[in-house]
Amino acid sequence: MLEIKDLHVSVDDKAILKGIDLTVKPGEIHAIMGPNGSGKSTLAQVLAGREGYRVTQGSLRYLDSDLPPFSPEARARAGIFLAFQYPIEIPGVANAQFLRSALNSQRGYRGEPELDAFDFLEFVKGRLAMLEIDDSFLYRSLNEGFSGGEKKRNEILQMAVLEPRLAILDETDSGLDIDALKVVARGVNALRAPDRAIILVTHYQRLLEYIVPDRVHVLAEGRIVRSGDRDLALELEAKGYGWLNLRNNCEEPFIP
Amino acid sequence: MTANTPFIEALRRIEVPGWLASERGAALDRFLATGMPSARLEDWKHTSLAALERRVWHSSTSVAGEAVCPDIASYPGHALVFQNGQLHCHGIYLANQIAGTLLDLANTQAVHQYLGQVADDTALANLNLALWQDGAHVYVPAGDHITLPIFTLFGAAEAEAMLYPRTLAVLEHGAEAILVEHFLGQTGQPYWQNAVTEIVLEDGAHLTHLKVIEEGAAATHTSLTAVRLGRDSEYRALHIGLDGALARHEIRVHMAGPGATTRIDAFDLADGHRHADLHLRINHRAPSGTSRVTYRGLAKGRGRAVFDGHVVVDRAAPKIDARQSCRGLLLSPQAEIDAMPRLEIYADDVKCGHGASIGNLDREALFYLQSRGIDLALARQLLMQGFANEALGLLDHTHLRNWLMPRLIAAMARRTLMEPTP
Repeated sequence: MLEIKDLHVSVDDKAILKGIDLTVKPGEIHAIMGPNGSGKSTLAQVLAGREGYRVTQGSLRYLDSDLPPFSPEARARAGIFLAFQYPIEIPGVANAQFLRSALNSQRGYRGEPELDAFDFLEFVKGRLAMLEIDDSFLYRSLNEGFSGGEKKRNEILQMAVLEPRLAILDETDSGLDIDALKVVARGVNALRAPDRAIILVTHYQRLLEYIVPDRVHVLAEGRIVRSGDRDLALELEAKGYGWLNLRNNCEEPFIP
Repeated sequence: MTANTPFIEALRRIEVPGWLASERGAALDRFLATGMPSARLEDWKHTSLAALERRVWHSSTSVAGEAVCPDIASYPGHALVFQNGQLHCHGIYLANQIAGTLLDLANTQAVHQYLGQVADDTALANLNLALWQDGAHVYVPAGDHITLPIFTLFGAAEAEAMLYPRTLAVLEHGAEAILVEHFLGQTGQPYWQNAVTEIVLEDGAHLTHLKVIEEGAAATHTSLTAVRLGRDSEYRALHIGLDGALARHEIRVHMAGPGATTRIDAFDLADGHRHADLHLRINHRAPSGTSRVTYRGLAKGRGRAVFDGHVVVDRAAPKIDARQSCRGLLLSPQAEIDAMPRLEIYADDVKCGHGASIGNLDREALFYLQSRGIDLALARQLLMQGFANEALGLLDHTHLRNWLMPRLIAAMARRTLMEPTP
């Protein structure tokens, strides 16, 4: 589904990713862990197509297409979803209007009929119930005045409404209390299907208690320095990132 | 023929009710003494009426011309429709005493008492007082609550016509009403509507007042809304400027009674070559008043939006709470927004504040919307709507959101020659 080879990415001419190799197959859940500044969020952003994130080397393929030429909306319509680490507040745009615009944009692209206000409401209320999110979410301005936890729940609601094929959660778990964490887990586990894949970018192992990943990768200084199964996350939790001996080794990167 | 000839001619041709004849003549004399407002006046520094003076205007004689007003049934309330300055049709379910035309109700006490008494002595208001042909009169007796909106439509369908719509609304003690003034006209025809609306709110009266300016694209709109508030009365206004080559609306609020409340929300769209000017002057003349102003101006193409929000707190008006929020969205390098929130305070013990900001669409917000599959054009539209929405809260109070939003959305999506596709 996703095939990344020797990916180098620069932001403002500063190299952030320095040769990432990663293959994600349909049905899999991958966790990408790593210390702050390792490039985890850059990887998430470059998949979503953020402006200013330049691929300088290597390849980024999704469903057998090269991703870089595609706009963010084209990627979204092709099934890529990024749950933002810091969701944007948009005053004056009701959550319901936003969700319906997004869903209908994607349905229109797929040649499916648009949902009218009534059908949309039926549909979205089902999703709200599944995630145990209050209906009042729909009528508030998009993320405006939302608490950190509410913003993250709202990202998961969007994911549940849009049903992406490849969902990337960028530190969706950070700063969440246990209830919000369960909402995230419910959303991810409900999305799980043989033809979908999920990438969890996270700093902590905590979320992985609720969502069991197939693969865990450790990203440091722009490279994947170690990959393994779930046990790798537990080992990181126990020993900390220092255990990977990442300090001051720009010249000679740690090779797993 | 001098520049004044059309105005003198126009007055000659008006069949006036006797009691008004001398007032009309005096008003015209006052206008002729000052002439049109010039750019040398501080208040007119940002808006020039020079283009008006280059045309030869005539007063309209008939309601002829294609009807410019949409189906009257699409207005969710009572409606009075004027075309070319005269009553065209009406769908009024109220007793005549509550809403009718100024001509029909000219002999009522409220008209005698207030007509021409509330509006300020400005050149354009004087011109209107001299030359108005008909208009609306809303009169809500003490304690009456009129829940359905009263719409007044002023349509224009005659090239080179100068029109002087006039409205007088009087709400007695504790009365409540919703007044919606809608100005519209035929696209492409240059005409000039110079309107005056006088509003008297007696003690404890509540009026919600929407004014929607959707003039033809070649038209000029100038208008004055003058409001006098009694004790504990409340004036809530929503100004929405969407079309017309040049539109200038002045709202002058006289907070004469203690404890009065004024809330003015406004959204102006200046696209293409459009010039949209909103001038507010809120005068706190009595203690314990509250005023809130929320202005949102959107300029694109070569459009220009002007906002002058002037709040004056007299010495005799302590314990005033006055706030203004003014934001502009500037979507092209050739567009311009001039925002001037001003506070002039002569009293002690007041709470006043204002904030102003001008910016572009937030790139982060655009990316966020795009990342959900929304294309750039729709993402921009959503953000523009969101921006306007911050000033549209009164639509929910009046249940007029469904009536207004399609107009607003269509206007914002309108693409003019001046504007490159994003």
